[in-house]
Amino acid sequence: MRLDRLVTPWAERAPDRVAVDGADEAITYGELDRLANRFARVFRANGLKPGERVGVHLPRSGRAIAAMLGALRAGAVYVPLDPGSPPTRMGLIAQDCGLHHVVISPSLLASWAAAGVCGSIEHFFLSATGGPIEVPASTRTHAWSEVESANPAPTEPAGSSPDDLAYLLYTSGSTGVPKGVMLSHRNALAFVDWAADQIGLSDGDRVASVAPFHFDLSVFDIWSSLSRGATIVIVDEATVVSGRRMLDRIHAKTINVWYSVPSALVLMLESGGLAERGAPSLRVVFFAGEVFALKHLRSTMAALPKARFFNLFGPTETNVCLAYEVTAPPAPDAPAIPIGRASCGDVISILDPEGRVLPDGQVGELFVDGPTVMLGYWDGGRRTAPKRPYATGDLVSRRPDGELMYHGRRDHMVKIHGFRVELGEVEAALHDHGCIQEAVVFAVEQQLVAVAVPSDPTVSVLDIKRHCAARLPRYMIPSDVRLVEQLPRTSNGKADRVRTKTAVIAGDASLLRPVQRAETGKES
Amino acid sequence: MEARVKADVRQFIVSSWLSGDERGFDEQTDLQQTGILDSFSTLSLIAFLEDNFKVQLDPADINSETFRTVNAITGLVLAKLARQGTAGAVEKP
Repeated sequence: MRLDRLVTPWAERAPDRVAVDGADEAITYGELDRLANRFARVFRANGLKPGERVGVHLPRSGRAIAAMLGALRAGAVYVPLDPGSPPTRMGLIAQDCGLHHVVISPSLLASWAAAGVCGSIEHFFLSATGGPIEVPASTRTHAWSEVESANPAPTEPAGSSPDDLAYLLYTSGSTGVPKGVMLSHRNALAFVDWAADQIGLSDGDRVASVAPFHFDLSVFDIWSSLSRGATIVIVDEATVVSGRRMLDRIHAKTINVWYSVPSALVLMLESGGLAERGAPSLRVVFFAGEVFALKHLRSTMAALPKARFFNLFGPTETNVCLAYEVTAPPAPDAPAIPIGRASCGDVISILDPEGRVLPDGQVGELFVDGPTVMLGYWDGGRRTAPKRPYATGDLVSRRPDGELMYHGRRDHMVKIHGFRVELGEVEAALHDHGCIQEAVVFAVEQQLVAVAVPSDPTVSVLDIKRHCAARLPRYMIPSDVRLVEQLPRTSNGKADRVRTKTAVIAGDASLLRPVQRAETGKES
Repeated sequence: MEARVKADVRQFIVSSWLSGDERGFDEQTDLQQTGILDSFSTLSLIAFLEDNFKVQLDPADINSETFRTVNAITGLVLAKLARQGTAGAVEKP
């Protein structure tokens, strides 16, 4: 099976069912199928060869999904680009993977042109009417009408192998240079089918699209939905920044399946009124990407008593390789919830630094082999297969009942005066505090620094230290605790550890505004 | 004198390890139970005391009791100053 063949059967069976319920327009399965064929024809007519890459730089929408499908139907590889990232970064990615064809909105094209990064692009395809936009002479811009009026009949299938590269996801490498993760149709479908089966996804479901398309969570939203004839409901970029607007969208669109980072759910709890309003339509909540603070998970589960909750786990390189269904709210004294067991047909092992298999209870690195493991990193098109099993860099242990527990990133291990400190463990202790919304911890010159966002302005640095001292060894108590209004976020919506650390070192108060301290009015 | 020592010690601790946040902190706050003092912060506190008050602390002076609270530290510093003052008075004439 291939991703580009998922839609046609539904277009034949239920052409008028809405495939993508977008912010601006709704597209039916019939329309999506035809628009994908139009894109495929226009790409081919403009020199796109099988195996080449197509950039898709659009807000999340039915047209963006049609462009991805069209690229696959032309035998090419789609590269979702983040509409929230600066054009210079897009220029780097375009250069890295040799993009010559990009589908883009008029306003984003204007930003590329202004930044002077259009150079290597031969063809821009506008996703809407707009312009004219001044681009270099070597670059052609195709109007939306050219796509819209193209022949919608199916093209000759260009690719046939499920092991073909389907898409590249660029992740921010820890060094700052974006890295392209190569994923095949088979990689995607191992997860797409597994996830759909877990929850019995079907043509009556309304699946939220919350995660950006360049983030691997969206693989479920798009492809699991299309494979089962469900409707994708776009929770657009302007909505995901507000807890209230997100919850309004769930209510208005009767969204019943949701997959996001925990932060989005916390936002609905803290500022959207989730606890009071509930969301009775939701039957499934998947979460992944960061640790869900247990107090927030409990509140979310209390607000959604009928929903099933799943903790999904895996780096972009393996999509999802572990899963845990949270069947009951975690007990008040529970330290954390498991990340679960191998999923999607993957096989996992927990090894020590010498490669020996560790017994239950011992913390080691998670290794993964199986159908979701990427083809490799993009390296000028060479397919350099990753070492197998794939070393995730995540530290885990296995409980006697077989469930895996997460202990942070291997590269988040620092040494403070010779002591090994797992930063994730310090963060978990901070998240355990009833008045801390979120926190990141890092080391600066042998000192642990915690930057925390309090949910209660009366919480003091002393309260937090006392709380840590009751849970952690002395050397793991942050010596420098900053209370700020909010943390910088990555384009995936996660707390941005790197930018937080940089701002602390540079003393940049504009990014980390201190909270207004309030007195408790009582002796603490 | 006592008030000055107390205020200096307190100010040093609050600015070094509490980001200047004085809320909830007083002279009787347990510096170990609250995670403020560990072996490394104790070293920098000793350096501050020796430098600021011109006292010489011996290993015997430094234990969990003498470093438990701002009051205890103040007591230690005052005792040291008193002893050194006497010693100085004996040597000078």
